[in-house]
Amino acid sequence: MLTKRELLEPLARLRGDAVVVNCMSVVRPWGKYSASDLDLASADSAMGHTADFALGIALAQPLRRVICLNGDGSMLMTLGTLATAVQAGAGNYILFVVQNETYEITGNQPVPGAGRLDFALLARGCGFKSVFSFDDARSYEGGLPSILAARGPVCVAVRVDAGSEGPISFSPREEAHYLKTSLAETAWRLRRALAAPLEP
Amino acid sequence: MTRAGLILNELKAHGVTHVVGLPDNTSARLFALLENDPDVRLVQVTREGEAFALAAGLWVGGKKPVVLAQNTGLFESGDAIRGTLLRMRIPVVCLITYRGYAKLIANRKVASSERLSAEDLSRPDLDSAALFTESTLSAWSIPYEIVHDDADTPMIARAFALSEEESRTVAVLISGVLQ
Repeated sequence: MLTKRELLEPLARLRGDAVVVNCMSVVRPWGKYSASDLDLASADSAMGHTADFALGIALAQPLRRVICLNGDGSMLMTLGTLATAVQAGAGNYILFVVQNETYEITGNQPVPGAGRLDFALLARGCGFKSVFSFDDARSYEGGLPSILAARGPVCVAVRVDAGSEGPISFSPREEAHYLKTSLAETAWRLRRALAAPLEP
Repeated sequence: MTRAGLILNELKAHGVTHVVGLPDNTSARLFALLENDPDVRLVQVTREGEAFALAAGLWVGGKKPVVLAQNTGLFESGDAIRGTLLRMRIPVVCLITYRGYAKLIANRKVASSERLSAEDLSRPDLDSAALFTESTLSAWSIPYEIVHDDADTPMIARAFALSEEESRTVAVLISGVLQ
């Protein structure tokens, strides 16, 4: 099992100009390591629709990597997006399934299939070009450059410790940069940031 | 009768880059045209809720998508629409095929009842998909236009204008099978 710090800190260091869309239990932790305008928290939003929303950005921005940090509970709500991502040929799409095996935000109730679900197998079955699984920090950190360079769509199933994150809202009182304004403002800010050409 | 080609021309005239959705009997002709169209990319999804969220992402990424789905898929998509298009204030036009419209018109009196009985909801000569379509859009504060035939296709331009002016989601209901 990885801690959230072990999952997120190396990714924040190496993500470069990739878009990062996340949800649920990693929203606040990610805000500790990144203050990029290319981040968007799919929080206070539609549960289960982070992976498909991020896929849309990936299809719109084929020259830029788009990383989705999805939860396992959220992924279970839109498993069909695994098939859609492959069908759409989203070669720049990197989908992390952060497996804490619980609905952490609502008190760590176990997700259906906890302890048995194999998201890497599901992704392979849908035709993902590159699939990775990790349950320890050393192999994950060592594998991260390969993940970011892999032919997509990429799926990364990572087992992490369940924490104690509570409900998330958009409020100036939140510490994470992307939670201080409304979801609409962060979405429009990301659109403006993506309108700028990529630096060579 | 509404020709699918006219609708596709309207989409192109408004700079649409992607159509995201699932086919039904009404929209099958439009899907067939899109599959071979060099200008507008078709993205097929597995469930309608996925279409609205994916369209939101396309717009954030700088594209101009529309969603194409049946009214039954609209119902399934409530939280996807609320949590992405509406909360992000994204100007997207959604083409929604109006399953059951002919039965609705044939039973206008029943359909206009303030509260439908359990018997009305299960009548074989009424399609509950049609019964709930306009009231659902109204409940979700989504303005809509209706296209019944070729002469109504300018309604699509009105929907795009309103969507852009107010940065909001606008629906276009398509009442008949596209030819």
